[in-house]
Amino acid sequence: MLAGRIAARSQSSASGAPSASPPAAQRAGLNVVILDPAHGGTDPGARGTGGVRESDIVLDLAAQVKRGLEAQGFQVLQTRSGNEDPSFDDRSALVNAQTGAIFLSLHVSSTGLSGTVRVYAMPEMALPPMNGGLIPWEQAQAAYLPLSRRLGDAVQGELAQKFKGSPTEVQTASIRQLRTTAAPAIAVEISSVSIAEKADLDRMLPGVADAVVRGVVTFRPSYVTAAPASVSAPVVGVKP
Amino acid sequence: MSPKWRVRIVIGLVAAVLAAALYFPILKKRVKRQALVQQKSEEQARRELTQSLNANSNEPKVKAKLFWAVDGDDSGLTPTTVELPLSNEPALRAKQVLNTLLAGPVDSELKTLPSDAALLAFYIFPDGTAVADFSEAMATSIPSGVQSEQLAVDSIIRTLAENVPQVKGLKILIHGQEVETLAGHLDLSSTFLVSTNIPVKK
Repeated sequence: MLAGRIAARSQSSASGAPSASPPAAQRAGLNVVILDPAHGGTDPGARGTGGVRESDIVLDLAAQVKRGLEAQGFQVLQTRSGNEDPSFDDRSALVNAQTGAIFLSLHVSSTGLSGTVRVYAMPEMALPPMNGGLIPWEQAQAAYLPLSRRLGDAVQGELAQKFKGSPTEVQTASIRQLRTTAAPAIAVEISSVSIAEKADLDRMLPGVADAVVRGVVTFRPSYVTAAPASVSAPVVGVKP
Repeated sequence: MSPKWRVRIVIGLVAAVLAAALYFPILKKRVKRQALVQQKSEEQARRELTQSLNANSNEPKVKAKLFWAVDGDDSGLTPTTVELPLSNEPALRAKQVLNTLLAGPVDSELKTLPSDAALLAFYIFPDGTAVADFSEAMATSIPSGVQSEQLAVDSIIRTLAENVPQVKGLKILIHGQEVETLAGHLDLSSTFLVSTNIPVKK
């Protein structure tokens, strides 16, 4: 079990901005996108009959999303870039240490209508009591739920236009990875590894990446204006 | 010792080594097979024990609402009315409806839970919080993914909410253990609120 304190500043704590001065317009807003290609290492995630592995597909998708976001001026970090399998807490720790960041967890399902994409945010969580500006690691997502849903709606809206049969609004699901994330956070799940031809899944990736980038760009102005007052102080999570 | 005896002893030793080398893999296979048979028997015994709760019940039949998938794409849940002999005792009633849910509908495409999963135990605390302990297969055989894992848990919660109103919250265990996720996605670390608010397709 990991121990220690991990600091994660809220999006409005401009005093914690990096010393290398970014453009003034970006400093108080959304600067960093953390991409989380799910699974990896000994955990391949969902597996299709044709040998398709979720852990490989999401790594390809992450590379495409990264290129698109960097072209829009975002700094992009990844929870893994190769075949590693960081723990849920290690993945959260990466985003919780950033200022002005959002978190996108990338998945491919085993089931679902092939050729569709669903976006998830956490369901309602009780806001834990703040103790001197600290919130519990285990409930870190609670204060960010409204922003997560707004981000989810923006990305899902773009995906619905490209992939018919996809929902038009963000879905809710209690996803372990999102719970400990102190930033607007969503999971994007493509259906599915059961697709008849892997090539069909590969052909979806540029469209999914483009929709995700467009959604993040649409969301960017909301990030500044909708910052929750309850997390305006630096947020510190304590890992168990 | 004469050279003749020395040769005999060496031949004997070589024969013993060869016999051991040949027999060891066979013995290993036997032990493995025995362990597998024992594991299967335990699982079967649990299933028979829990399923007999339905088969041997003398309770009057009532209309229960079970929630399975609306289609093969896991796009939601739909209610199906099934006539079951249900106990008035909440924990026993919960076991009966969950075992029926596990057995699945006629169309196996619409199952929400793995065929080889079994309910090992179910109990309810006085405050309405219940604990459902499922066998390992619940986590290992379910298709991995947010959508499939959520549908599985939603079908359990919605079925309990509809048929056992005494259950207010549900903690899911796998083989007696608290686990972080069902199959890599859905969070099982906390207690689910059991309510009829989960949307279904009529």
